[in-house]
Amino acid sequence: MTVEPWTIKYKPRTSKDVAGNKPAIEKLRDWIESWNKGRPNKAAVLLYGPAGVGKTSVTEALAREHGWDLVEINASDQRSGEILSKVAGLASTQSTLFGKGRLILLDEVDGINLRADQGAVATILQIIKETQYPLILTANDPWDPKIRPLREACLQIELKRLGVRDGLPLLRSILSQEEVKTNEDALRLIIDRDRGDIRSILNDMQLLSSRRGVVTVDDVDLLSGRDRTESIFEVLRVVFNSRTVAAARRALSISDVDQEMLFQWIFENAPYQVPRPIELEEAMSALAEADLYFGRIKKTQSWHLLSYALDLMTAGVAVAKQTSPSGWVPMRFPQKISSMSRTRAIRDVRKKAAASIGLKSHVSVRRAPQLYFPLLRFIYEHNPDEYERIAASLDAKEELEDLLSSEFKLET
Amino acid sequence: MEAALWTEKYRPKTLDEIVDQEEIVSRLKEFVKRGAMPHCLFAGPPGTGKTTAALCLAHDLFGARFQDVFMELNASDERGIDVVRTTVKEFARMASLSQVPFKILVLDEADNMTSDAQSALRRTMEKYTDTCRFILCCNYSGRIIEPIQSRCALFRFTPLPESKIVEHLHHIAKQESLRVTESGLKSVVEVAEGDLRKGINTLQAAASMSKGITEEAVYQVVGRAKPTDVHEMLTHALKGDFIKAREELRQLLVKYGLSGSEIVRQIHSEIFRLPVPEKKRISLIEAVGEIDFRLVQGGDEEIQLSALLAKLASDA
Repeated sequence: MTVEPWTIKYKPRTSKDVAGNKPAIEKLRDWIESWNKGRPNKAAVLLYGPAGVGKTSVTEALAREHGWDLVEINASDQRSGEILSKVAGLASTQSTLFGKGRLILLDEVDGINLRADQGAVATILQIIKETQYPLILTANDPWDPKIRPLREACLQIELKRLGVRDGLPLLRSILSQEEVKTNEDALRLIIDRDRGDIRSILNDMQLLSSRRGVVTVDDVDLLSGRDRTESIFEVLRVVFNSRTVAAARRALSISDVDQEMLFQWIFENAPYQVPRPIELEEAMSALAEADLYFGRIKKTQSWHLLSYALDLMTAGVAVAKQTSPSGWVPMRFPQKISSMSRTRAIRDVRKKAAASIGLKSHVSVRRAPQLYFPLLRFIYEHNPDEYERIAASLDAKEELEDLLSSEFKLET
Repeated sequence: MEAALWTEKYRPKTLDEIVDQEEIVSRLKEFVKRGAMPHCLFAGPPGTGKTTAALCLAHDLFGARFQDVFMELNASDERGIDVVRTTVKEFARMASLSQVPFKILVLDEADNMTSDAQSALRRTMEKYTDTCRFILCCNYSGRIIEPIQSRCALFRFTPLPESKIVEHLHHIAKQESLRVTESGLKSVVEVAEGDLRKGINTLQAAASMSKGITEEAVYQVVGRAKPTDVHEMLTHALKGDFIKAREELRQLLVKYGLSGSEIVRQIHSEIFRLPVPEKKRISLIEAVGEIDFRLVQGGDEEIQLSALLAKLASDA
């Protein structure tokens, strides 16, 4: 089964499908329409706003709904003035085959490097002056001094972060199509956590729901601010795509993700990112070695061993991997982490239940879970009435009730 | 209210009702006859009747109301010297109100106490010998410090023989009007491994599904992986499907609650049945041995065993 990233699968098809920012999009659409009556006063729009609010998506949607070609030049491309005038310049003046319309997108203009992209700003200004086709520039930060001349030459339209009002219906519709169960609190939390960045929200939702088809507030809580998946993705990308030891080691410096958490992320995803069994064997063996170091560190508090563990879990995996999986493989949420965060909350409940069982059946709190929890879980699953009878006879109705909701149900 | 857990409902009340352990029972009966007893050390694996024997002894010595002069402490719960000292002192010190010559204090899982705590306990035992007798329960008597061992009468509890477990389970099955098949009962006994508590718990769980106890039902309960599950995990790995194999491994660890060393043990015995060349068997044994060793060294079960599965998968 191939999995598509939700960020692609649920890209807005038309500008009307874009979530939120209705007035801004209306303004943008009016400006596009005005091209039908000839070149408007301002031939370019500077579309600005934070990452993941849909600047590129809305542009693509507009081109599609007008049946125009989209000529796209983005930050990762070479953008020196010369190249720009060749590509964008030609596109902006030459007519298209069959007289088809055209929309030109200059993505992330605030990413222009003044030295490397020599003359870029001047060239863009020139293109804006001469273009026969609508031109959209995007930027995160419109106030960046180096693009000031551009700002003045463009109609400025701001896209804002996705709010709860627009975010909830969007997420509800996607989740119902994906048959994922969730609740409003979880959705509100995730919109808030990801600061209205739709791309992050969708990435996180896809990741969380891939585990159990259910997303709860607790799940969202797993993505604590510090270990946001966005940064984890970046780290994992470096680990799994580096070819040298030095490059892989860099993964640790680009993020402050907890090291043992990162270990779990790498361990979880290695079999999916390293498809060749012989390379996987090597990667897993490096991880097992790293795990041994973690164990020794814990036992003996020898923290100087940490760097060996880190080398093995990053570089050891990176160097083992020679072959990439075919196609896009989504990252998975580590099973260990989800169960760890649950245990903290559960521990208390378990202890109380264990104490009341231990008291009546002459075993210690420490051993009661091992001796009686599996029995009770089984009985609950097959004969809830019997479970209640046992709870009553142990004088532990409340404790065993809590045990049910905290532990038994989650483990299935 | 009647106990609903069968281990409690069918726990013997008197020494006469105790299953097996004849020699121990007859020695304890001596104590009852004389109305006196020394400090005792009950050593043996879980589910062999140590706590039960202590309870029955107290019952036979002091009658049905023995609870007033009987106290049970779990060493592993009440950790620390101070706790043991104060709790034990309080109990041992107070002269008993009833007519009995001494009280009984049972200290369960005594081998989980640090040796410092045990030394402190030794002094307390000495000091209150007049008013209080101690029964220390442990799995391994070797983990009890010498000075305590030498002050106690040692009783060694052994795993119950199959016939005795069968007998007791039959008794419970009759009381609970269960229909038990021969093979069903046999599998309960197998699961129990001489641990009567485990056997009774297994029977009760199976009975919660249906009053007919079959082998299938028992396996469903036990949570213990059947040999075929480890086999399945290895088969996935040998076919080169690491992801499925790791999935199976997680099932064994989480759902069935197997320990890493138990899985290693089962893999070891499976190696001889796997469809691999003879030379390969030897290299696998070496790898399994290495993992067994690593688990002792503090390696994580899931990660170490995953590395083994990846090794199997890469040869596919």
